[in-house]
Amino acid sequence: MIGVAPPAYDPAAPTTAHTLPVGSPATVRAYIGELFRRHRRAFLMLITANAIAVTASMTGPYLLGGLVQDVTDTAALRQLHLERTILLFTAALVVQAYFIREVRLRGAVLGERMLADLREDFLVRSVGLPPGVLERAGTGDLLSRITTDVDRLANAMREAVPQLAIGVVWAALLIGGLVVTAPALAPAVLVAVPLLVAGCRWYFRRAPSAYRSEAAGYAAVAATLTETVDAGRTVEAHRLGPRRIELSDSRIAQWTAWERYTLWLRTVLFPIVNATHVTVLCSVLMIGGVYVLQGWIGVGQLTTSALIAQMLVDPVGLILRWYDELQVAQVSLARLVGVREISPDGGDACLAPDGRAVHAEAVHFGYRPGVDVLRQVSLRVAPGTRLALVGPSGAGKSTLGRLLAGIYAPRDGRVTLGGAELSRMPAERVRAHVALVNQEHHVFVGSLRDNLLLARPGAKDSELWAALAAVDAQAWTSDLEGGLDTEVGSGGLALTPAQAQQLALARLVLADPHTLVLDEATSLLDPRAARHLERSLARVLDGRTVVAIAHRLHTAHDADLIAVVEDGRISELGSHDALVAADGAYAALWRSWHG
Amino acid sequence: MQIRDLPYADPGVPDARSGPRFLLWLGRNQLGGQLRSLTWGLVTFLSISTLPYLVGFAVQAVVDRSGVRLALTGGLTALCGIAIATGDTMLHRTAITNWITAAARVQQLLARRTAHLGSALTRRVAAGEVVAVSTGDVEKIGWFVEALSRFTAAALTVVAICAGLLVYQPALGVVVAIGVPVLALSVLPLLPRAARRAEQQRTKAGRATELASDTVAGLRVLRGIGGEQLFLDRYRRASQEVRRAAVRSARMWSLISMVQVLLPGALLIAVVWYGVHLAREGRITVGELVTVYSAVTLLNFPLRHFEEIAMAYSFSRPSARRAARVLSLERPTDAGGSRAAAPGSRTAAPPGGDLFDPATGLLVPAGRLTAVVCGDPDAAGRLAERLGGHAPSDTSPGAPKTSSARLGEVPLDELPLATARTAVLVQDKDPVLLSGTLGELFDVPASGAVTAEQALTAAQCSDVLDALLQGAPDSTDPMRSHITERGRSLSGGQRQRLALARSLVTDPEVLVLDEPTSAVDSHTEARIADGLRSLRTGRTTVVFTSSPLLLDRADRVVLVHDGKVCATGTHRELLATETAYRSVVTREPDGGESHAAAGTDERGPHAATSGLHTTAGPPGPPDALPDSRTPDELQDIEETA
Repeated sequence: MIGVAPPAYDPAAPTTAHTLPVGSPATVRAYIGELFRRHRRAFLMLITANAIAVTASMTGPYLLGGLVQDVTDTAALRQLHLERTILLFTAALVVQAYFIREVRLRGAVLGERMLADLREDFLVRSVGLPPGVLERAGTGDLLSRITTDVDRLANAMREAVPQLAIGVVWAALLIGGLVVTAPALAPAVLVAVPLLVAGCRWYFRRAPSAYRSEAAGYAAVAATLTETVDAGRTVEAHRLGPRRIELSDSRIAQWTAWERYTLWLRTVLFPIVNATHVTVLCSVLMIGGVYVLQGWIGVGQLTTSALIAQMLVDPVGLILRWYDELQVAQVSLARLVGVREISPDGGDACLAPDGRAVHAEAVHFGYRPGVDVLRQVSLRVAPGTRLALVGPSGAGKSTLGRLLAGIYAPRDGRVTLGGAELSRMPAERVRAHVALVNQEHHVFVGSLRDNLLLARPGAKDSELWAALAAVDAQAWTSDLEGGLDTEVGSGGLALTPAQAQQLALARLVLADPHTLVLDEATSLLDPRAARHLERSLARVLDGRTVVAIAHRLHTAHDADLIAVVEDGRISELGSHDALVAADGAYAALWRSWHG
Repeated sequence: MQIRDLPYADPGVPDARSGPRFLLWLGRNQLGGQLRSLTWGLVTFLSISTLPYLVGFAVQAVVDRSGVRLALTGGLTALCGIAIATGDTMLHRTAITNWITAAARVQQLLARRTAHLGSALTRRVAAGEVVAVSTGDVEKIGWFVEALSRFTAAALTVVAICAGLLVYQPALGVVVAIGVPVLALSVLPLLPRAARRAEQQRTKAGRATELASDTVAGLRVLRGIGGEQLFLDRYRRASQEVRRAAVRSARMWSLISMVQVLLPGALLIAVVWYGVHLAREGRITVGELVTVYSAVTLLNFPLRHFEEIAMAYSFSRPSARRAARVLSLERPTDAGGSRAAAPGSRTAAPPGGDLFDPATGLLVPAGRLTAVVCGDPDAAGRLAERLGGHAPSDTSPGAPKTSSARLGEVPLDELPLATARTAVLVQDKDPVLLSGTLGELFDVPASGAVTAEQALTAAQCSDVLDALLQGAPDSTDPMRSHITERGRSLSGGQRQRLALARSLVTDPEVLVLDEPTSAVDSHTEARIADGLRSLRTGRTTVVFTSSPLLLDRADRVVLVHDGKVCATGTHRELLATETAYRSVVTREPDGGESHAAAGTDERGPHAATSGLHTTAGPPGPPDALPDSRTPDELQDIEETA
């Protein structure tokens, strides 16, 4: 069998649900339109410069044609103005060279500007996503969009769009030049068009998705290796070395299968493109030759036409080469602008809490339709109360915490703060009152100061130090040589998970909301330090409402009120002493813990 | 080598002594491919350079009013076209094959080296380099490998064209032959600076991408607490810096493009001027003039390859150097193990018996569940690592050789690495979940005695399975649901429990767990403790923990302080007798309160992280208890317990 079928395994296929939307063709078109409008002037300049360069480049063949005509014509040969022609030739060359430079430079400037717009737009949109969407979709998909898709678009924006604009203008001008030089010869160019169109249709129907899969396959090869490196200890401990090698080899097999397929696609396209070129040249020479023999056109016209026909190689190659890239880029663009389709937080800005009481009334909530994680949960948290949520994993503690922090909206029932429904407030309003700190202890790339300032922009250094002291982080931070200017995060000083968690809590101290939801906020500290930290934190947070999702019973012990969450319901509610006296599930656990 | 035969069964042993040697080694291994590509390159370039002659013939035929010769030229052009189409396609196929086979080979070598290095790769620098080679350098090396044969073909073609022109039309040919070397070399001086600017741009772009992904990775934090504007502004600045660097780089490239138009154009004008003179004097024909003209225009095409190879080499040289360095990294300990060298011990069966660490005096009796309490979490981590032998952190210059833990009578360092790891599985504080399906996660070398279901039940993973199913496209079989890289979609507690389940499936002779449930809530932890105990009945298990729920279920509990064992007993015995133990484990207010009040003074914060040092019970100096005992006494405790 001739030809290669596309491989069965597609590395570009998604593996998890809950991802963010991909832009519809309409959104993509609208965005492209907007980009064009924003840069209309630059586009016009680029095309003008390009037109001048191409026109100048045709001067050579035109003048040579004239010379050939003159040389063959003995009468004209006597009065041949060679010097003038050469001068014109040189002038045209200088103009061409200058404008070629202009075209490349303007193309790059335009491309870079569009690219910068695009990536900045994307981040602006991402940063405005509702917290609930982020919680559900995770940041993985967003991350791959800002890295892989922006990278892939970089090539398209930097090169493909300007080059395509150049190629199209170039080809059109060359054909125009041909028509002007020898109108009778122009149809000769058309001989090859059907072949080219048929070949391109076949190719471009298959190529974009194939290249996407190929790129995903190659990324998977590197990702597998990166993971093996990252998990070095685990790989060695579990003797996974041979399996990782096997996996790498199979990723290479999957990737190269796609390489083989795309190579086959080009194996079909390349001869067609080459055949087109030669057919054009051949038909111009043969048909033109016959015309000259018939005396319909001159030798000079034939020469010029043949040379221009040869010049068509470049723009056609350019168009084909970059059209490909554009097709691939279109998919990435759709993924980037897809974020625009999420309505950015339809909060009701008029809604403001009156008071600080948190109240959940008959709340039902589920991630999937028909499966409720929380059922009929009602809870009243008076201002200043320290409430601990305890219970087995999967019982719904974290989900309840997120509802109380206004990240999710209940399916049924209401969660209110000071009488105002949290889920209907804009995220910016909610977080002025309620903060959620979870295990995600992200350390941002940048200085220690940057990492703290985000919680209270404009805070003075003394405030930052005070916040660090409040979370027991003063010792290691004051030992840092760079102080608050020390670069942390990836590439900078590597913080231990415990230090990162302290940093997260210091931000909380700075943000200073009156209600806090702490989800396993100290789980990464060693238990001794955790308790100590919780106590120092308690002093700082004194008077604030704290909902702590507690892993450790000492957290519960220190709380004013304990809610035991089991199977989506609150099964026990009361103070530590009351619950121990009640001798229920909590009491049993406490005894086994405390010995 | 064809693409369909990839991956290599054996990628071979690379010559990694230096970058150029590594490139040479790669080249030697695909000599056939390079020659094939060179041959097709010559066919293509030479056929392309025949076209101008044909154009010239055609024009001359018309001038001479010869229809026959015109038709003949047409036929030749068609033939030439077939040769170009075939040659170009085959050149592309062979060159890309060289690229892909070289890239696949390097990736395979990297995978093997990485698997071999294992835990020795945790050093940040080494790890970063391996990733850099795999993600960026392989492509550059591949580029050079691919461009090499094309360049050689182009160079030969240029020589051939010049020679052809000299023969065909000596007077004009001389002009071209002198001009071409100038053209070939003209842009070379500009290239280093262009390459440098391109590299700067790449670095800046990398930085911007890093900032963007960093912002996105921490987006939940930002959305929860604020500061989006701060990070947006920062990204905008980085993004604009990339733009400026890119434009700077483009300035250089546009200059190069200009030179590439200007110089060949000048040569062309010289040829035309001189040619017309010659034609006027009747020394050359019109057809010949047109031929030379088109030949010069077409020369541009192979000449571009000179520029490309210079670029490819300047980019791939540092890449090859880095690849060579990574491929020559070695483990600090001899993975072969000195005992494997003994004759007849090819299938070194793992030894059995008690596990003993001479450095601390920690004795772990075979078949029992031992819990170790250690005030300093870092010291606990090091001790856990040592219990497995072949510890990378253990090979600091001054470390005595005796520090290897012994299983039965055998020092683990003297066993082959694989045998030692089979005998003792150490699960560190931060076990990594490898991405893939849940089924793949549990597909680890194992004794076979414990099923995934048993392990998942013991580790209380039912809610993890629910969470995974929620994220799966078809929510039916949890074993087919996907775990993302490092299990990022799961909570810390869920990750910990899955990792524990994986270690339980392995079912090693000795299982060492360092804080396996630190992020798990107490309800679940209590159940895990029961599950762990019953599943590991009759097997040796060591748990580093300070949770009373786990300690209470251990056969014996060992308190380690300052690198030495200082007390042994059951949880309840130690609670009753050891004040230090009590303060670590229950975090009773008596120990905690005393420095909680001192939280703002200088010593206070230290107390939180350095554990035992400052947390003595109220009476007596803090370290009096452990230090007052002699090593002999400790040994007694070990033996009597």
